[in-house]
Amino acid sequence: MPKQGFQPFMESPLHHFKLDAEAQPRRADGRIWCNELPHLGYAVLRGDTAEAGFAQLVEQVTGLALPLKAGAVSQGPQGVLMWTSPDEWLLVSHRQRLADWTAQLDAGFAAQQLFAQTVDSSGGLTLAWLGGTQHITVLRHLGVYDFESIPLGHMVSTVLGKATVQVIRLDGDGVFVLFRRSFADYVWRLLRRAAQPYGFAVCQLEARSDHPLFAQLAAPQPLLVSA
Amino acid sequence: MLVITCPYCQEAREEEEFSYAGEAYIARPAVPEEADDATWGDYVFHRKNPRGWHWEQWQHVAGCRKVFAVKRHTVTYEIAGSWTLADGKALYLKEQA
Repeated sequence: MPKQGFQPFMESPLHHFKLDAEAQPRRADGRIWCNELPHLGYAVLRGDTAEAGFAQLVEQVTGLALPLKAGAVSQGPQGVLMWTSPDEWLLVSHRQRLADWTAQLDAGFAAQQLFAQTVDSSGGLTLAWLGGTQHITVLRHLGVYDFESIPLGHMVSTVLGKATVQVIRLDGDGVFVLFRRSFADYVWRLLRRAAQPYGFAVCQLEARSDHPLFAQLAAPQPLLVSA
Repeated sequence: MLVITCPYCQEAREEEEFSYAGEAYIARPAVPEEADDATWGDYVFHRKNPRGWHWEQWQHVAGCRKVFAVKRHTVTYEIAGSWTLADGKALYLKEQA
């Protein structure tokens, strides 16, 4: 194949908003601060917790304990593992690391003959961080869930303006909103519109190495999709 | 709006997050090869549609995406409870007996 041939590259579903150009350092004012965490890796993990070896294998490969309580989130410096259903979890990490994990997990499932699987859905999801003193109020405008009642280290799957989203609270500083790529444009505009009365600003997200999700921004992004 | 408790998420959630999935515990003919057309017709098309307590299925589409059983009053819309399909079936069969 010629060198100038087909070279697919990754594009965030929100690329057309040019958020990088708009981003500014976060300040402690009353505004809503928001930005997307682009190009993270997401994988759906399915399995039966009653099967011996399943939870152990997941923990051994990812270093994250399999959360068994409804809505619980396991976090570590390498990513997060969220409970989404009694037999389904979502792994979020850096894309490259996630690809390694899913390969190891699939090999492990096959070796131990576990009825479990991983499905990489990195292309289908994206994540936004929403913070500021009024960020819960913004969510209240859009959804029916009592967002202020989400405990730390938990996520809730609900609807914002008819679009299914997962709202994840890892620490006291803002929430992460996970939504589908196909709904990304809609959800982003929705958040932006709801935040408008309080002041909306796109913030620069720092790749903090001590944070389970911001740390995943640190490593260089493999923007070229290997053909 | 109904407020339905999802037995998997173990939380009361708004109806907006759920999708109705029809009457619960419709028994499929035990020996399908021997069932006549009338039996199949009843199985496929005939529903109880009661005025009163009704066992029905709901799916938590915006949450855990699981289907579960809800006992709801079709006149007052009161909800007696919600169970996983397996747990609910034991109660349902006891009621029917």
